[in-house]
Amino acid sequence: MPSAVRPKTFVSGAGLVWRWQRILWWIFIVNLVLAHFAIRGLVDRVRPALANSSASQRLVNGFDLTALMELAVRPDSPLETPGPVVFHYSVIFAIFMIFCTGGILATYVFDIKPTTTAFFEACGHHFWRFVRLLVYLALAFIPIGILIAICSAIHNRMDEQSNSPYPAAYFSGASSLLILLLLMVLRLWFDMAQVIAVADDETRMHRSLRRAASLLKHNFGSLFWLYLRISLLAGIFCGLGLYLWMYQLSPMSITLAFLLTQLMLIFWIASRLWQRASEALWYRQYQAAIVSEPTYSPSPTPAPVSYSAAMN
Amino acid sequence: MLPSWFTGLLAATLLLLAGGTVFESRLAAPLAQAPEAPRSTPNSPLSIRVVAYTIEAKLNTSSHSIDATETLVYKNLTGQPQQSFPFHLYLNAFQPQSTMTTEIRMSGARGVEADAGWNDKNRGSITVSKIEVQGAGDLTDKMQFMQPDDHNTNDLTVFQVTLPKPVAPGASVEFHMTFHDQLPEVLYRTGYKRDFYMIGQWFPKVGVWWKNAWNCHQFHADSEFFADFGTFDVNLTVPQNEILGAGGDLISSVNNPDGTKSAKFHSEDVHDFSWTASPDYTVVEDTWTGSAGPVKLHVLMSPGHMASAPRYVQALKGTLAWYDKNIGPYPYDRVTVVDPPHGAFNAGGMEYPTLITAGTTWYMPKGFLAPEDVVNHEFGHQYWYGMVATNEFEDAWLDEGINSYVEAISMAALYGENTSMINFPFATASEAQFLRIEYISLPDTDPITRFSWKFISDNAYGSVTYGKTGTVLLTLEKVVGQQTMLAALHEYFLRYRFKHPTGEDFLKTIEDVSHQDLKWYFDQAVYGTNILDYDIWDAHSDRLTWWEKEISRKKTADEMYRTYVTVHRKGDFIFPLNVLVQFEDGSTTTEHWDGRDRWVRYTYDRKSRVASAQIDPGDKVMLDRNFFNNSYVVDGDSRAIHKLENMWLFASEWISQFLAWIS
Repeated sequence: MPSAVRPKTFVSGAGLVWRWQRILWWIFIVNLVLAHFAIRGLVDRVRPALANSSASQRLVNGFDLTALMELAVRPDSPLETPGPVVFHYSVIFAIFMIFCTGGILATYVFDIKPTTTAFFEACGHHFWRFVRLLVYLALAFIPIGILIAICSAIHNRMDEQSNSPYPAAYFSGASSLLILLLLMVLRLWFDMAQVIAVADDETRMHRSLRRAASLLKHNFGSLFWLYLRISLLAGIFCGLGLYLWMYQLSPMSITLAFLLTQLMLIFWIASRLWQRASEALWYRQYQAAIVSEPTYSPSPTPAPVSYSAAMN
Repeated sequence: MLPSWFTGLLAATLLLLAGGTVFESRLAAPLAQAPEAPRSTPNSPLSIRVVAYTIEAKLNTSSHSIDATETLVYKNLTGQPQQSFPFHLYLNAFQPQSTMTTEIRMSGARGVEADAGWNDKNRGSITVSKIEVQGAGDLTDKMQFMQPDDHNTNDLTVFQVTLPKPVAPGASVEFHMTFHDQLPEVLYRTGYKRDFYMIGQWFPKVGVWWKNAWNCHQFHADSEFFADFGTFDVNLTVPQNEILGAGGDLISSVNNPDGTKSAKFHSEDVHDFSWTASPDYTVVEDTWTGSAGPVKLHVLMSPGHMASAPRYVQALKGTLAWYDKNIGPYPYDRVTVVDPPHGAFNAGGMEYPTLITAGTTWYMPKGFLAPEDVVNHEFGHQYWYGMVATNEFEDAWLDEGINSYVEAISMAALYGENTSMINFPFATASEAQFLRIEYISLPDTDPITRFSWKFISDNAYGSVTYGKTGTVLLTLEKVVGQQTMLAALHEYFLRYRFKHPTGEDFLKTIEDVSHQDLKWYFDQAVYGTNILDYDIWDAHSDRLTWWEKEISRKKTADEMYRTYVTVHRKGDFIFPLNVLVQFEDGSTTTEHWDGRDRWVRYTYDRKSRVASAQIDPGDKVMLDRNFFNNSYVVDGDSRAIHKLENMWLFASEWISQFLAWIS
């Protein structure tokens, strides 16, 4: 790939996210609304216990953990594990995101303001392709799962055999980091396959995956660095937000805490879109470079004349 | 076993308590000062020494076993001839069909799950290959296993030997035993982990003649301690690279030609002897001086845990000082704190005379006071078990429960009233509240006084013995006053140190010191399973001239309201309480209710409407199972709800993000 295109993708990707920030806000709102419904029952159950009780001040003036525990351990506890409900709403959100990915990527790949109809057409156009891709992703998780099991077994053995806890702890840290990076590579690969599916209107997902793997293989450094940089920024920002929330904000600053936590979430979503946009941009530039060097062109470059034309 | 403290904030706390409670904080009458315990001297031992053990033991680190001989001189102070003697063989509990294992399989214990995988390494045993009695010869074939608690014939944790002729009152009998210990890998309290050894309950230990009978229970999942005071002379032979710690003074240590070393320990006025060995310990030593003289502090730190060493030492010194000031002097010249290595966590949080085991991890945030708490609790057992040597099998609440209560107040004094367990800028928790949480999770399955192995489950044993007893005593503080409560504990310690008191002895001491008849409270809280729960059923105001639809602005100022406040007794525990009613104009009134009827209603005609009604202002009656229904604030405050909502919302959003990321 021509090196001239590399430096632009990182910044231009952010520009794409900024330009089409409506996507960001919609994702954020859907996430917020679904999460709100997921916890609604829990909040409604806890409200009668807290609303008119002076004991609730233990949670306002600071955060007395035992006040929350008291609500949880009583035989008539108003707190039920919200796990299943939260999970169900999270699954809905994940499906929503798979659905929207086609429209989002089409926007980033073609960089043309989509009409609502065109956007959702793109979503629907690619939805089942991405569901099929999800099946491949599940298969790809198997070796990662095996690796996690192996690392866990090694950790347990080291922990069992070593008199010092550090070797096992260091190994655990290192292996977790490795697995995280592998997951990021996997994400990068499948994201690229999705970009190819949208940009080239590729219907066969195994072919998209093969091409994405080939691209990744030959441009691993630049693409991985692109993703890693954005992930690091997101991690730093969210870590800083958590630190502010836990250590700096007054326990009584409830509105500020809400704003801060939502800001962290917005930044996280933005960073994820940034990765997708940068990758889409990278691919666009890659294609453009191939057009200028026809001997390396694997297939004719589609002409992105219009957003809806690209969908057809 | 496991965790608790207190000091200088006492006066301030008392003032606060006096301000809001209806209970008379009658100060204890000045007590006759019992003589403070001096250090033991040859002519004036601290205890009535019934037993004298001399043990020669050799640790085999390759087979994780011990070969030993034991000489026990038992002085018959029972007042009658004794012919049969029961002995504990605790390590036989580590067998698949033992009573302890059966109980653990039923409902777990001490963090060991019911279905925890046992393997051969977790098995342990003790075999007495020979028992001789001076003057009576070899009685090995007279040994008989017995199961006084559950008749489980597979349980071999108690045996009895019958002598050819009785031992006269006042006379002594000398037993000579040869035994072999196969140590279990640590799953539960004792054993080995890699090259770490925590050796507790490892030698044949004679039962206690108590209440006119032998008391020698089997080893249960939730109790194990009851023995007579005496002396221990123990000679331990271990590889030379081992660093030893023991519940005794090191008398000598010599290296042997075979690469081993022999270390002699002596301990007196104690009822048990435990020891530990590991080549990996880092020894931290310090000294603390109390009213009975200097005390050497030995802290044996495992690899990777050194960051917790200063925390252990600080907690130990603070606890020693607190006990010295409030309960009584610590008469021994040493305390050893053993820090188990990673993977041997279940050997931690244990108490033995002058030796305790703590617990930490390689990373322990400062705001989480677990290392401090465990040291405080286990050291507390030097008083409540070590010196005041109650029967843990039958009265576990007297050691674990009292100790949990003292832990709560001493930790509060040392680390802050609301921050004695968790102290982060974003979250706090106190030890006292933790005890209460433990109690309210299972408040009414068993009375406190139930024998330890007869609780409905291991969780109930923990909840009632630690949590409920601690909460019962924290509430009793509000009835008799904290200073009186401390005076009662002090008196109880002085009366019963180096003795075997009963629950009645403890309760009577509180009544003696407080000059109050507390039967009404003890019947419900100690002997009963009553639930204490009062709530504000209703609090509202109504215009007296409610039929007038329109009120002029002028008239509003003079408007009279009728206020109703209804207090309801939800539980079956009757407890007198205060009700604080506050009105919108800032005025307040306090009602006192004996709490006997099922409900009571207070009515007020005032120019101001009710703002709030509160039972037990300040939440001092810790036994109340639900603090949230103790008050009703008319203009509710939804900030707590929003705070929780935000946390849950954030968590839920991130779960969605994670799922979206991996799909």
